[in-house]
Amino acid sequence: GINAEYGTREKRRESNTMAEPTAQELVDICNNFMLTAPPGEFMEVVTDIRGLLSNEALLNSSAPATFRQYNQEQMLAVQSPAGHKFLITEFGEVGDGQYVDPMGKMIVKFDHIKQAVVGQAGAAPAGGDEATRAAFDAAAQAYQADHYPDGTATVYAKGGKIIVCMQSSKYNPNNFWNGRWRAVYHCTVGAGGVEVRGNIKIQVHYYEDGNVQLNTDTNKNFKVAGGDAATAAKNTIDAIKKLEKAFQSSVEVAYATMGDTTYKALRRALPLTRSRIAWEKISSYRVGSNISK
Amino acid sequence: YQRRVRDRSARFPGSRTLPFQTHYPLSMADQLDCALDLMRRLPPADVEDNLAGLIDLAPDLTEDLLSAVDQPLKIAHDKAANRDYLLCDYNRDADSYRSPWSSKYDPPLSDGAQPSAPLRKLEVQMNEVFDIYRDLYFEGGVSSVYCWDLDGSNFAACILIKKTQDQSKKGQPMKGTWDSIHVIEVDDHKSKAHYTLTSTVMLSLETKNDATGKMHLAGSLTRREEKECPITPAASHIVNIGRLIENMEIGLRQTLETIYFGKTKSICSDLRSVLSKSELDARKQFSSEINRAVKK
Repeated sequence: GINAEYGTREKRRESNTMAEPTAQELVDICNNFMLTAPPGEFMEVVTDIRGLLSNEALLNSSAPATFRQYNQEQMLAVQSPAGHKFLITEFGEVGDGQYVDPMGKMIVKFDHIKQAVVGQAGAAPAGGDEATRAAFDAAAQAYQADHYPDGTATVYAKGGKIIVCMQSSKYNPNNFWNGRWRAVYHCTVGAGGVEVRGNIKIQVHYYEDGNVQLNTDTNKNFKVAGGDAATAAKNTIDAIKKLEKAFQSSVEVAYATMGDTTYKALRRALPLTRSRIAWEKISSYRVGSNISK
Repeated sequence: YQRRVRDRSARFPGSRTLPFQTHYPLSMADQLDCALDLMRRLPPADVEDNLAGLIDLAPDLTEDLLSAVDQPLKIAHDKAANRDYLLCDYNRDADSYRSPWSSKYDPPLSDGAQPSAPLRKLEVQMNEVFDIYRDLYFEGGVSSVYCWDLDGSNFAACILIKKTQDQSKKGQPMKGTWDSIHVIEVDDHKSKAHYTLTSTVMLSLETKNDATGKMHLAGSLTRREEKECPITPAASHIVNIGRLIENMEIGLRQTLETIYFGKTKSICSDLRSVLSKSELDARKQFSSEINRAVKK
C-alpha cells in the first residue's frame, strides 16, 4: 500500500543534482560550530564534532587556527606566572602562542589546544605609554574588583591607544548554565580629552531540557576630559562604570518589556473566559459547521 | 516501514561518556547523540543553518536529524482552501508538503503519502478543534494537525502552532515568535488508550535600541508526558489529546517565562553586580547588625 512505500521515497530536501560539499566547506561548517560554542562548552562542542565526522582527521590542520581565534575572541582568562589573572586577546598576541601580560611585564607562552599557560618567553617589549597604561590599569583593576565577582581586566598600550579589556564568566554546568560578559574599550588619550570607542557583549546559555540563549551586542562611544595620566584614567573608568550600569539597567528594562508585553501578546495564560477549555464541548462540533470565532 | 515517532527521550549534555581516545568512527547511534548534543549548545538563532551543516557533515543521519531536530515552522498557503498551513517533516514527502485542509500535496504528487480514510476523518476534526484552541489561547497565528497510521489501530499525530508578534515602534524593533510542536503517539486499546506526548516550544524575542544595542533571547524547551486514559463517548481521543496538550502548554509557558525572564536575567546579574562590592559589604554588615539586635 501507499504507507509501505513511504519509507523508500527520497527524503532529502535538496534535489539529487546538488553537488556534495567540498572538504573545505565541511571544514568551514566545523569552524563555524566551534566559534559559536557557548562559554565553558568549547571542548564539548569539539568532541561532538569529532564524533560526527566520518574522517575526524579532517580538522587536524585547521583546528589550531580555530582554537586560537576562539580563545582570542572570548578573551580567555588565564593565570599569569606573575600570580594574577590576565586575558588572552588579539591585542596581546606577539608571536605564535605568545601573549603579553602587560601588568606582569612579561611574555607568556600559551597553548591554545590545552587552553593553558605553558611557560614564559621573556620580558614584555618596551614602547608605548607605560605611565598612562599603568594608570588606566590600576583604575580598571579597582573597578573590576568592585563590580565583577569573577572578572578579569587587562589593559594594553598599543598603536597609540590604551585598550581596556574586561571579561567576566560564570560556569555552572551541573545546573546546565554558563555565561560571559566581554567589554573592550579603545581609548585615545590626548590633550583635549579621552575619546573612547567601546563594545559590550553578553552571552548566557541555559540548557536543562532545552537550549535557551541570550545574546546582546552594543557599541558605546563617549568622550571625557583629560589631564595627567591618573586623571584621564579616573575619568575614563568612571564613565565606563556609569555607562555599564546604565546598560545593565536597560537590559533589565528590556526583559520587563519582553516579558510583560511581547510574551503575553504571543500566548495568553488562559483564554478570555479565564478557565481551561471544555474539550467535550468543542470536540462535538460537526466538521464544517459554522464555528464562530 | 512506519513513520518513526521521534525518540525524544531527554538527552542531557554530559550524560554521554565519550572519552577523548574513543575509537573512531562512532556508531550511528553515538553520532546522532553527538549531533543532538551540538544542537543543545549551538546558538538557537542559527538552528536552520546548523541543521543544514550537520546534514552536510553526516549525510547518513539525514532522516534521523530531520525528524529529531525541531526547526521554526514555515507557513504555506493552500490556495484552493484559502487557508494557511504549517510545514514540518511529518507532512513532507520528497520535496512536497501536504495541506491539512485539502490533504493535497504542493507541489502535486500523484502518490504522496496519505493517512488512511478513517484517520483522515479524525485528522480533519482535530484540525478544526485545534483551530479553536489556537484562537482561544493565541488570538491569531496558524495551526495544523497531521496524523499518520501506525500498527493496527494505533496512530500518531503532530499538532503545530505558530504565532508571531511584531510590536516594533519607529526605529525600535520588538519581535517575538512562538512555535509549538507537539508529537503524540497513541496506543489504542479500544476502551482505553496510552498516550505518549513529546512537546517542544521554540521561543524567540528580539529588540534593538540605543540603550541595549541588539538583544536576542532565543531557544526552546522540550518536555515529555505519558498518560493512560479511558475512551468513552465523553472522553474521545480528541478530548484526551486536547487536555494533555493544553496541560503541557500551560506548563511549558510557565517554565519558559521562568527561564527566559527569570533565570537568564539573574545570570546577567551574576556576571556584573550593579552594586559595588563596598555597597554589598555595607549591606551585609547592616543586616548582620540587625540580626544581632533582634536576637538580644
